[in-house]
Amino acid sequence: MTRLAKSSIAIALALLVGPAVAVPAHAGDRARTSVNRNKNENRNTNVNRNKNVNVNSNRNVNRNVNVDRDVDIDVDVDRHGCCYHHHSGWGVAAAVTTAVVVGSIVNTLPPSCTVVMVNGFTYQQCGNTWYQPQFVGTSTTYVVVNAPR
Amino acid sequence: MKRTRYFGAVLAAMLALSAPAGAQTPAPAKDPAAIAALESMSAYLRTLKAFQVESLTTTDDVLDDGLLSQQAAKNTFLVEMPNKLFVTVSSDAKERSFLYDGKNFTLWASRSRYYATVPAPATVRELDDELNNKYGIEIPLADLFRFGSPTWNAADITAAVDLGPGTVLGVTCQHYAFRQDGADWQVWIQKGAFPLPRKLVITTTDDPARPQHSAVLSWNLAPSYNAEAFTFVPPADAKRIALAVVSQ
Repeated sequence: MTRLAKSSIAIALALLVGPAVAVPAHAGDRARTSVNRNKNENRNTNVNRNKNVNVNSNRNVNRNVNVDRDVDIDVDVDRHGCCYHHHSGWGVAAAVTTAVVVGSIVNTLPPSCTVVMVNGFTYQQCGNTWYQPQFVGTSTTYVVVNAPR
Repeated sequence: MKRTRYFGAVLAAMLALSAPAGAQTPAPAKDPAAIAALESMSAYLRTLKAFQVESLTTTDDVLDDGLLSQQAAKNTFLVEMPNKLFVTVSSDAKERSFLYDGKNFTLWASRSRYYATVPAPATVRELDDELNNKYGIEIPLADLFRFGSPTWNAADITAAVDLGPGTVLGVTCQHYAFRQDGADWQVWIQKGAFPLPRKLVITTTDDPARPQHSAVLSWNLAPSYNAEAFTFVPPADAKRIALAVVSQ
């Protein structure tokens, strides 16, 4: 898993609780793809990403059993077992069944989920647990949410 | 006159003293001809109203242990300046489309059938800024609409070298290397009346792992498309999801 992926998870977690969480956009830990973007100036500040106090002070983080797990969110869920560092799929799915804390984020769903549309947005209902898919960057992740209806 | 020479001598002595001791690798020169070639390419790009590019890219991810993992992708890129864009990215890990019609931006994941649509700013350059800063998304090949734009400045380049002729996919080019804050990069510019970038290699120099991104480009300067190409019409089985804001 890349440092980028880990960072994105932290960012998404922070977003779950507080309004207006100012987290620098991710940029580092992957080759820059442009020599023209102004934003690339942010790269240097992102070295300090793990000092983000918003994440550490977030109460949900501490009781979120998924925080420290390697969840590689940069791979679509329909791809399995291809790569050395893209190893998350099975372990995460198995662990989720025992840890369905609201706010948890995973990149794969347990089996037997049903797509439910609420207010035009997509949810996945897996037993009694509801997941809301979202894009974080271009990666798909699933946030455990309270039942939306 | 005498006085001027005196101060000149003092200045030279001070400079000599302030120079680091020992033999240093001299900084590469900033070749005005290389800068001129880059400016010429940039100016030419800005004359293009619509273009289509296919590219094969590789991008290094830096893993936790500092190892590099190279990811390959194939991109298609259709832009109508200043406010229409259709990009597809296909890699081992995922397939994504970016659609922008001047009003909305849609990210579409064709395998999972998820999409997210958000209101978009007025131009592709503003869109690229917003996607970067707010959503953590990079439009591939954004340099193609950023070279020669008002936010681009050749003065940011600290070194420029002409590396001689080079061929990219059978096209005769001139190969240049540049340095700027945070990146060493190379571009192969097509020779002749159409100075297009045919290959781009960017090495990130503010990461000790020095990850690299490369793109080999195939150009179509007379693309055929219709206006609907840039507007996302959700297929029947498409499922709308949110696009997370990662910064504000």
